[in-house]
Amino acid sequence: MNLASGLMKLGLSVITFTYSLSVFAVNLAEVKKGEYLARVGDCISCHTAPHGKPYAGGLPMLTPVGAIYTTNITPDAETGIGRYTESEFAHALRRGVAKDGHHLYPAMPYPSYAKVSDADIHYLYLYFMHGVKPVRQSNKASEIPWPLNYRFPLAVWNRIFLDKQTYQADASKDASWNRGAYLVQGLGHCGACHTPRGLAFQEKGLTHASDHFLSGETLEGWSATNLRGDHNTGLGRWSEADILVYLKSGANQHSSAFGTMTTVINNSTEGMTTEDLSGIATYLKTIKGTNDKHQKPYQYDPNATQAQFKTVTSYPGARLYQQYCVACHGQDGKGVAPYLSPLAGNPAVMDPDPSSLINVILNGSPQLKAQGVAAPFNMPKFRHMLNDTEVAQLVSFMQTAWNHPLEATSAQDVAKIRKLAPSAH
Amino acid sequence: MATLNINGTTHQVDAPDDMPLLWAIRDIIGLTGTKFGCGIAQCGACTIHVDGQATRSCVLPISAVSGKKITTIEAVGETAAGQSIQKAWLDQEVMQCGYCQSGQIMSACALLSQHPQPNDAQIDAAMSGNICRCGTYPRIRAAIKLAAKEGV
Amino acid sequence: MSQGLIQALADQYTVANPPRRQFLKIAASVSATAAGGMVLSISLPALSQSKQTQAYSELDNGKGVLAPNGFIRIDKTGEVTMIMPKVEMGQGVYTSIPMLLAEELEVDLHTVKLEHAPPNEKLYADALLGAQVTGGSTSIRALWEPMRQAGAVCRSLLVTAAAQKWKVAAASCYAKSGVVYHDASRRTLSYGALVAAASQLPVPKSVVLKDPKDFKLIGTSAKRLDTPDKANGQAKFGIDARPNNVKFAVIATCPVFGGKLASVDDSRALTMPSVLQVVKVDNAVAVIGTNTWAAKRGLGALEITWDEGKSAAVNTRDLIQDLREAAKKPGAVAKKTGNAASAYKKADKTLSVEYEQPFLAHATMEPMNCTVEVSAFGCDIWVGTQIPTFAQGMAAKILNMPVEKVRLHNFLIGGGFGRRLEFDGVVQAVKVAKQVKGPVKVIWTREEDIQHDMFRPYYFDRISAGLDAQGKPVAWSHRIVGSSIMARFAPPLVKNGVDPDAVEVSAELPYALPNVYVDYVRVEPRDVPTAFWRGVGPTRGTFVVESFIDELAHLAHIDPVKYRLDLLSPSPRLKNALQTAVSKSDWGKPLAKGQGRGVSVMHAFGTFLAMVVDVTVNDQGEVKINRVVSAVDCGMTVNPDTVIAQIQGGVIFGLTAVLFNEITIEHGRVQQTNFNDYRMLRMNESPAIDVHLIKSAEAPGGIGEPGTAAIGAALTNAVFSATGKRIRKLPIGQQLKA
Ligand code: FES
Ligand code: FES
Repeated sequence: MNLASGLMKLGLSVITFTYSLSVFAVNLAEVKKGEYLARVGDCISCHTAPHGKPYAGGLPMLTPVGAIYTTNITPDAETGIGRYTESEFAHALRRGVAKDGHHLYPAMPYPSYAKVSDADIHYLYLYFMHGVKPVRQSNKASEIPWPLNYRFPLAVWNRIFLDKQTYQADASKDASWNRGAYLVQGLGHCGACHTPRGLAFQEKGLTHASDHFLSGETLEGWSATNLRGDHNTGLGRWSEADILVYLKSGANQHSSAFGTMTTVINNSTEGMTTEDLSGIATYLKTIKGTNDKHQKPYQYDPNATQAQFKTVTSYPGARLYQQYCVACHGQDGKGVAPYLSPLAGNPAVMDPDPSSLINVILNGSPQLKAQGVAAPFNMPKFRHMLNDTEVAQLVSFMQTAWNHPLEATSAQDVAKIRKLAPSAH
Repeated sequence: MATLNINGTTHQVDAPDDMPLLWAIRDIIGLTGTKFGCGIAQCGACTIHVDGQATRSCVLPISAVSGKKITTIEAVGETAAGQSIQKAWLDQEVMQCGYCQSGQIMSACALLSQHPQPNDAQIDAAMSGNICRCGTYPRIRAAIKLAAKEGV
Repeated sequence: MSQGLIQALADQYTVANPPRRQFLKIAASVSATAAGGMVLSISLPALSQSKQTQAYSELDNGKGVLAPNGFIRIDKTGEVTMIMPKVEMGQGVYTSIPMLLAEELEVDLHTVKLEHAPPNEKLYADALLGAQVTGGSTSIRALWEPMRQAGAVCRSLLVTAAAQKWKVAAASCYAKSGVVYHDASRRTLSYGALVAAASQLPVPKSVVLKDPKDFKLIGTSAKRLDTPDKANGQAKFGIDARPNNVKFAVIATCPVFGGKLASVDDSRALTMPSVLQVVKVDNAVAVIGTNTWAAKRGLGALEITWDEGKSAAVNTRDLIQDLREAAKKPGAVAKKTGNAASAYKKADKTLSVEYEQPFLAHATMEPMNCTVEVSAFGCDIWVGTQIPTFAQGMAAKILNMPVEKVRLHNFLIGGGFGRRLEFDGVVQAVKVAKQVKGPVKVIWTREEDIQHDMFRPYYFDRISAGLDAQGKPVAWSHRIVGSSIMARFAPPLVKNGVDPDAVEVSAELPYALPNVYVDYVRVEPRDVPTAFWRGVGPTRGTFVVESFIDELAHLAHIDPVKYRLDLLSPSPRLKNALQTAVSKSDWGKPLAKGQGRGVSVMHAFGTFLAMVVDVTVNDQGEVKINRVVSAVDCGMTVNPDTVIAQIQGGVIFGLTAVLFNEITIEHGRVQQTNFNDYRMLRMNESPAIDVHLIKSAEAPGGIGEPGTAAIGAALTNAVFSATGKRIRKLPIGQQLKA
């Protein structure tokens, strides 16, 4: 999908319109800045329903307590945020409190947005007021059952978990690092998916000061991988350039984006500036690994796996791999990077939580489209072809193939993920 | 510019690295025996051999095969396995529309060179990636067994 | 799809074209026997021999070549070329038609050369179909006599020429293997040497055909002529056409049915290497490149805005609701025997159930494609099509050109199943080619092929019966609700609101039933295009009728085979087929846990067929097919091995659909994309299929479709026997999961 660039066109025409009619001249350059920031924040991915209008909300977000629907953030006066003042807008973004005073669920990553600077809030506000086409579409009530839907405790939640300070630069680090940290912790809200959550749904760390920060989490049937420096499951083997290429194009020599991350790349990171992306890479590479302390550093070794391929009829996983996967990912597990993702040594495959692997096999991946061009190959879905036992055999094969050190996966694990609606927002 | 060794002939192909071998073979080199069926490695119509291994050319970027020996349906009859498979195919009257059959034959040849006497499970493993919409599977199985019996 | 389609196709050919009057004449004679009977013995389609010769010479009749009709050409070297009026899509006509010709012409089958017929209704119209069409399992039925006549005429000319040379009586000479003999004088002359003389002779008005007992070739399993090239990559399908300087196009059609192209930003695509051009047509956009891959990558770089139109919110549930609503009201009466309504009152037990069958895609292995060049000299089309003259006519219409300026080059077809009875792909390619300099090959990706197929319609059936105390059905009523393909094809064929295809089989049951009422309600699935799909009416009808008969047998506590046999007295050939199939199967033997057997019978296309299926359903509700046994009486067979192959293939085609396939629609779009979510039966799932041919002296019946038509109910009846679960909605899919 290329909502973002379609939107850009829409947005621009609206800007011209507003600009020509408005008594107060709107600074177009500032609106454009806001547009870029909205892209960094990837607002569109969550605030747009499948086949829905941009920013009109309605996307279900599955939380452990029930589905929440994202809201209309177009400048429509009745159903959107058209009547918000800038300070009300800032309050919603950074404090999670709507204009009418009700508390937003922390599925909205306001604890991260709390770090966003006043200047950036201003640009974002201008963009949402003048650069987005208003859409009249009422918000959908959440499906969280009573009494959990009672929002009052969120105020208490905020008192405990919300850090109200905007990002404070670390003077011991250079500008690029600080820019990266600001984006990762703040607008980019990487932790919303990649940081484990506690019992109260709070992210267990909002900065690199915490060992939990960006150490990987499972959400909506996807395991968002560890972004710390761990050798096996994190970014330990990735260079800064690898990270940059991945965020810019969706693939590098180690891995390709899949599942939810595809949308993040399509709608957000592929359009970010090289400076911002290198800042992110610089910052991420300074976060130490914490997860694979007890594991041996992974070494590629295809011998045992090649032997299985010789007599596939005795190895159901290898047989299935040979039928469905081998043409793209290869017997050697190396794929053809960056077009066809390597599996051997890929941190997403070496993740001890198989959710993503199961999910991507069952549901495939949305089309990656970076720099306006659809990626040449796309992971197809196999939920219609493979039953739970077969998916489990396949995943278990990949978990030990090419010297991967993981436990096998069961058909029950697969059944759980199959039950979830395929999500690809 | 990629250098492709196809059926013993070297071709210089001016194409981007990501171009699947299938299109280089069909559109640029002009060998049309290898077929397009799905483009996602799920039907087997585009099966060719790379260094003797059956593989799907529709997802095989040409960057991955430079220097390797590629065989297509047009030349597989020059191998012993190819000859006996093609003969068995005609003996058993396997083919209906024939569109999938280049791929079926390429898969079967690779199977036979690896397992000269394949059992049913081995036939299933080697051939289940090849779809035949006309439903020639029972005859494919019979033809492979016939070729195995007659020896390569 | 017997007489109906056929005509329909003729009428769909709306381009003004003289041959059309001829189709209508032929069609009239066909519909006279329309009540389920097949027209079996026809002479050359509405044309005298001399007219044919004339028409042929208009086409191209080189000097010194013997070409007494449109089907045979013999040159001076004796090389025999046979012109194939039917297309080869796997059904074996490129062998069975030459067999018919060669039998009478007296040449060795493997010495003949084959050529695709050019579009020419005068020469190549099918008498059953009324047009130059391949489909509906009619090829052998329609050509059985004309082809033998064509061969005999040609042989008689050669024999006469030899007799004249030798100055002996023609009756004292005979032909064999391309040579004419006069035994008394021990003289021989090869056909080649006789060509010049024979081509000067008048074409005889009538010839005597061989007595079937003297057939040497017909009835033998002759080796197929088209297969050697299919084994070595030399066979050419439409997708393999490569006119000089051909360009390649990949196309995207509006994903929502009925939608249009609003706008496209092609700025990025046009900067890509090897992308030549972006072409817009009303509801689609194509990228032209120097190769298919470049075009496909270019397509992925377009920013397309669709005007999705009124169907953007439609989903399958709405369409089914339309059918259910419509089913509440009575439809057009397709069959009324006795008085079903009052017979129910006397019934001991009654049963009323509903059946549903999904939209289906054809998914031919060769995706849709068409190569076209439009130039100052006219238009050339390279395509594999079941309807060459219609495609040609449509192109002429779009280009506003006389038909003669459109040259259609037909190719082998990589799977038809009804898909290539439509010319949507040709029309689209012509619209693209109009805007491109030089020839352009438009290829549909598999995703396009599945999402923009013309689908087998969704059907909803309500069927009821009343049984007497012995379990015999005394009342039978059946309402069929769904799209009318015929109404699109040939509105005149839909008489009094009854689509003859939709009610085929259902309205002409083989069983002895005293009180029958069958009606049809036409409901179109809004903008979803529908089309014929292998077996067509008989496939959907047989599934419902044969499932329901099974339900009745169960209700009556009578063995399903016995129940059918007791009712089959009106159809001895079908009864015989059923007895044969049962005797070759393990019917009645004890079943293991999870195992079941099911049976079905079918009469359509002039063929009588019975099937027994043996399945095992495991704990996960997955169906494994152990064995299929089938007995077929299709009259005289031209090539028995081809018959067996067609039944086997038809069974696998049907199994795939019944086990896995349905096309579903959300947001106005087809949700299935490719073989990963439109699942095909594969080698490891394919059962052994035994086919027993019943010897018969009756005229040949069709064999392309019966296997598909019969397997559905046999399979679900077997599933019922294994699990006690009655499948009334296809596909079986996940329904047996615990
Ligand atoms: S075209 Fe390559 S596997 Fe189908
Ligand atoms: S022979 Fe037609 S698809 Fe296999």
